[in-house]
Amino acid sequence: MEQENNLLSTESIDVVKNLLASMEAGDLQKSQDFLDELTEIRESDMYQEIGKLTRELHDSINTFGLDDRLTDMASDEFPDARQRLAHVITMTDEAANNTLTAVEESMPLCDHLISKTTSIKNEWQRFSNREITLAEFKKLSEELKIYFEENSSSAAKINEHLNNVLMAQGFQDLTSQIIKRVISLVEEVETSMVNIIQLAGTKTKDSPDSKVDDSGLDGPVVPGLESSGTVSGQDEVDDLLSSLGF
Amino acid sequence: MAIDKKMKILIVDDFSTMRRIIKNLLRDLGFTNTDEADDGTTALPMLQTGKFDFLVTDWNMPGMQGIDLLKHVRADEKLSSMPVLMVTAEQKREQIVEAAQAGVNGYIVKPFTAQTLKEKLDKIFERIDG
Repeated sequence: MEQENNLLSTESIDVVKNLLASMEAGDLQKSQDFLDELTEIRESDMYQEIGKLTRELHDSINTFGLDDRLTDMASDEFPDARQRLAHVITMTDEAANNTLTAVEESMPLCDHLISKTTSIKNEWQRFSNREITLAEFKKLSEELKIYFEENSSSAAKINEHLNNVLMAQGFQDLTSQIIKRVISLVEEVETSMVNIIQLAGTKTKDSPDSKVDDSGLDGPVVPGLESSGTVSGQDEVDDLLSSLGF
Repeated sequence: MAIDKKMKILIVDDFSTMRRIIKNLLRDLGFTNTDEADDGTTALPMLQTGKFDFLVTDWNMPGMQGIDLLKHVRADEKLSSMPVLMVTAEQKREQIVEAAQAGVNGYIVKPFTAQTLKEKLDKIFERIDG
């Protein structure tokens, strides 16, 4: 500002000297001319200063506006994050329900097996002690036959339920991948907020150029979220691979 | 068709829950000889010992990713013919194509079913035999 201030320049001093001389000489016209000249010098300083301020304001606004990531985050990624988190709820809900169903369906099978085993064990004990009649033995023999059949089919069903419990745990991997992406979005917002504060305080700072999830991979597909170029399930994967000669 | 159920299978995934799921499913299918690694960097030296016959790998992992592990396996003279099954949440078409071009033998997207795993394994063995 000091360098651009023309008020103390030799030119200005000359004008002041001339002004004083013309005033002392009683020359009103000349005095007025020199006074105008002085005002002009003063004003040009002011305009320069305003121009400078305008430029700085313009730059600041530009820096602010150039931070497209903020706009992206607000318009796309926050709604995305909401939908991702909602999908996490759906997945954990499904996993919990599948597990509970499997447990609920297995328990009566186990109870039935336990009570059947106990009853047959008692009969078998009587048979071992030779306390059993032929008619009772025939009945026991029939019961045993049914018991063996039930046993193997119940065990197969329980095994199937256990497998469902096992598969339900896949939610942990998939929901973690989704939550990790949301965490990195939150971190990025935090960084951007800090940058905005710095921008407001000390004018310019480079805007962050980070991206959500630096792995560059998309992770699990979230229903309802735009995901161009993705397949919707195993069948489409198989179709795509078979089209490639697999 | 005789599948050697004693074959040694390496399961690579950064999530221990998913490794356990795959391990248990494989055991249910009769494959009891399995081992685990949590990413490609850990898996590759294990594979290079020559003790493994089959690789099941995730894609998105810290360290070395599944696709790079696959490329390393295909580039390694001793490992190049090892069957590789990818089990991943990545379902972009271009990624599936990339995996196919890198020489993957099967591609399963998560979440998957026990039936899908069985089908893909059967298919892989069928092709190897044929």
